[in-house]
Amino acid sequence: MSATSTTPKWLLQHEVGLCPCACIGKRRKGGVIEKTTSGAAALLRQTLFSEDVAGERGLLQRLDPRVKVLSLLGLLVVTADLRHIPVLLGMYAGTLALAAASKLRLSFFVKRVWLFIPVFTGVVVLPATLNVVTHGDIVVPLGTWFGHHLGLTEQGLRSAGLVVTRVATSISLVVLLTISTPWAKLLAALRALRAPRLLILVLGMAYRYLFLLLNAVTDMYVARRARTVAGATDATSGRLLVAASAGALFGKAQTLAEEVHLAMVARGYAGDARSVTAFRMRLLDAAFVLACVAAAVAAVGVDRLLGR
Amino acid sequence: MHIPDGYLSPETCGVFGAAMVPVWTTAGRRVRKIVKNRYVPLVALGAAYSFLVMMFNVPIPDGTTAHAVGAVLIAVLLGPWAAVVAVSIALLIQALFFGDGGVLALGANTFNMAFVMPMVGYGVYRTLSRNVSLTSPRRPIAAGMGAYVGLNAAAFCSAVELGLQPALFHSANGTPLYSPFHLAQSIPAMAFAHLTVAGGVEFALTAGVVAYLQRANLPLLRINHRAVPDTDAELAPPNRPPWRWALVGLATLVVLTPVGLRAPGGAFGEDALSDLPLHKYHLDAVPTGLRHYAGFWHNALFNGYGFDNGSHPTIGYLVSALVGIAVIGAVVFAGFTVVRRVRRGHDVDDDFETAPT
Amino acid sequence: MTVSDADMPTADDALLIVEGASYSYLDRFPALDDVSMSVQSGEKVALLGANGCGKSTLLKVLAGLLFPDRGRYTAFAAHVTEDGLEDAQFARGFRSRVGVVFQNSEAQVFSPTVREEIAFGPLNMGLERDEIAERVDDSLAMLDILDLADRAPYQLSGGQKKRVAIASVLVMNPDVLLLDEPTATLDARTQDWLIDLLVELNAAGKTIVLATHDLNTLDRLADRCIVFSEDHRVATDGPTHRVLRDQDLLAAVNLVRAGSRSPRLAAGWPLPS
Ligand SMILES: Nc1ncnc2c1ncn2[C@@H]1O[C@H](COP(=O)(O)OP(=O)(O)O)[C@@H](O)[C@H]1O
Ligand SMILES: [Mg+2]
Repeated sequence: MSATSTTPKWLLQHEVGLCPCACIGKRRKGGVIEKTTSGAAALLRQTLFSEDVAGERGLLQRLDPRVKVLSLLGLLVVTADLRHIPVLLGMYAGTLALAAASKLRLSFFVKRVWLFIPVFTGVVVLPATLNVVTHGDIVVPLGTWFGHHLGLTEQGLRSAGLVVTRVATSISLVVLLTISTPWAKLLAALRALRAPRLLILVLGMAYRYLFLLLNAVTDMYVARRARTVAGATDATSGRLLVAASAGALFGKAQTLAEEVHLAMVARGYAGDARSVTAFRMRLLDAAFVLACVAAAVAAVGVDRLLGR
Repeated sequence: MHIPDGYLSPETCGVFGAAMVPVWTTAGRRVRKIVKNRYVPLVALGAAYSFLVMMFNVPIPDGTTAHAVGAVLIAVLLGPWAAVVAVSIALLIQALFFGDGGVLALGANTFNMAFVMPMVGYGVYRTLSRNVSLTSPRRPIAAGMGAYVGLNAAAFCSAVELGLQPALFHSANGTPLYSPFHLAQSIPAMAFAHLTVAGGVEFALTAGVVAYLQRANLPLLRINHRAVPDTDAELAPPNRPPWRWALVGLATLVVLTPVGLRAPGGAFGEDALSDLPLHKYHLDAVPTGLRHYAGFWHNALFNGYGFDNGSHPTIGYLVSALVGIAVIGAVVFAGFTVVRRVRRGHDVDDDFETAPT
Repeated sequence: MTVSDADMPTADDALLIVEGASYSYLDRFPALDDVSMSVQSGEKVALLGANGCGKSTLLKVLAGLLFPDRGRYTAFAAHVTEDGLEDAQFARGFRSRVGVVFQNSEAQVFSPTVREEIAFGPLNMGLERDEIAERVDDSLAMLDILDLADRAPYQLSGGQKKRVAIASVLVMNPDVLLLDEPTATLDARTQDWLIDLLVELNAAGKTIVLATHDLNTLDRLADRCIVFSEDHRVATDGPTHRVLRDQDLLAAVNLVRAGSRSPRLAAGWPLPS
């Protein structure tokens, strides 16, 4: 069992071919995967785990999380039901006002919401403005194509506008909720609202270990980059690498799951999830609920007035 | 394929949400029964893993990347019911933090990706890997095929959900209130992209991981394959050829392929979107399915569905809708039948159990 | 029983007794081979051995988390088996009397916040809410982590996580504390703090069993050492000072390099004879 095997000679000498000063040779842009993971990991970590905004003392931050969950969910349903662009725009303005009242930088909030889904939605629904997809009254003729009239229809344009504003408003509402509430409070609120306890337990644990696995992924790629000496990684080896990383990651996840299980059992876990947190409703909460109900009634009312 | 809020009517969301309740209940009960309290960390880590798999971007030949859903991979590794729970939770986290897949649309998204996909995919996998040893090279292929078929089944479901919106929900003057594309457009667009690029990625990832685990960490594969012998030598002689059930998977493909082939547009619409600064972020938070529409309008012009002559294609899309619903039903039913059959035959190794420690 | 030492306690009045235990992972990787040992109430016992010799596995057996393939484990005069622990009453009694601090705090600290983490055990014990709140606050104060109460685990350093892990075990007020390499990966100051804490707990009557391969802290942390050989068997079992003096044995089990002297001896530590 002796560990005194001899060190190979080459390991003790400097490699002649390698320039120690990084002054010659061409720079290589990082491969697709590398950029992908480091970029994604950084953005993910920021989006998932930054609690800067939740720590501010704005309007939403001061609310009882249960009230916040229910009110914003209610507004989400109302938003889904609206059928007129002006009403949706009004709703959207409301989310901006809420963001401002919660000490969110508006530019940050708008960017966070619009990148990427609503922008993509815009691109995606563009073809639907054409009369070949959405039939109706052509308002912007684009000429003829093999004898057929081609143009943008009123119905198509309105539909595209509807979808984009609704998507943006919906995402704004969800972002307002998650960005103004620390994750632990959000979980506690869901639990207080009678979400199944096991769901909460699994959800909380999944989120907690997401952080760890995310770091494991980044480490794997850093280790890989450290060992990549020359040449771009081609797509095939890239795919093999992804498969191997994903496989190794599953190994990590499984080992960790076993350890966590033992740690839970050692402290008396027998399959029931319990919790300690308690919340208190205040005047501000009641006022917020009332305001949301009023906004919802107004939005639905105006929407119906404008016709269905 | 992640449908954001705003694309589906509240009614649609409600229907799918309601449909998922018994699925989740069953999944929770089944997983819990089999592994007792051990399942909480296992499923939690499975969910975290599934979330990250969706973030793994795989290089594809045209120089861009695509990501996989990984639901069939999880089903192969942990069992189909554990996959239902794990992928649902991963989708919930995505919906909450990224708007990638909506909160109201969670029912529809989980129906497609956390229920149809693992069930159909796992059924195909079990069928193709019957009487195959744990280390056989046929096993990763079977897993990859399962993933491919599962993904396409899920994409098909989401295409139907989206495609039904304009027919069911429009204003008096014909303005579509939600997703504006009809079945005749949404199905070929989705099918094309998923039969080619996304399906390929899903296949490669799933098969790759299974092959990797065969080489590097066999005990992990045993978690969900307890009674499967390690090598072909230990295998009992085959009693019945598995081809009957393989036909189900192939039939699905046969049904889907011509639909997909009629849509010649660039998959993922990368050309139209390439001027967006997405590559800077490299976060694939963009719903895969939605991207396909970007390059889609070429297709609608050329594909001869009768839209270019200005006539209202009611009949066209009603027929498509009927066909669509029939196929969706067939796919789900087939998946179930396969799983049930397989379960009856192999009661032990089908279930999700951890190795004793 | 391999115990033959004159100053060894007899097994019958021991708190924890392991007799002839063997264990293999996945039925093919041996981790314990015919191990017998016992722990008296109020003792500080160290499990010593090189990496992979089976210390963590034995701790898990003592914690009722793994069950030997062969042999027998008795705790608090009751036979501990997997079936036995299915019984809610017995499990609750056993789990509240035996606390484990795992080597990997990352796995042990699994709750969304520190407060919830510490409340996890008492909640499972079925204590009253008020009492839980009080105990959690006391434990936070005792380990000097009150200001971390509402933090998430990923916002903590390694040392802080270890404190949380220990708090989450102490809050259940266990009679026996099992610790797996508690001082590994901690900086020197945190190590000292932890050693003082363990000594204090032991003085208050807690029984302590810890796994380590760090000989430097041993004289303060353990009255008695059980040394494992690399073939997963007990090589020796005796008072710390005697074990530390047996250089040949320590070299044989790969705890010190052959020919070198144990660190304490090198530092000129006066040996009791
Ligand atoms: N989960 C596991 N699967 C397979 N083998 C294991 C596992 N855990 C530990 N072992 C093996 O069991 C032996 C004892 O491990 P362990 O008790 O962790 O040793 P120590 O804590 O003394 O370093 C080692 O040889 C190790 O390789
Ligand atoms: Mg150890």
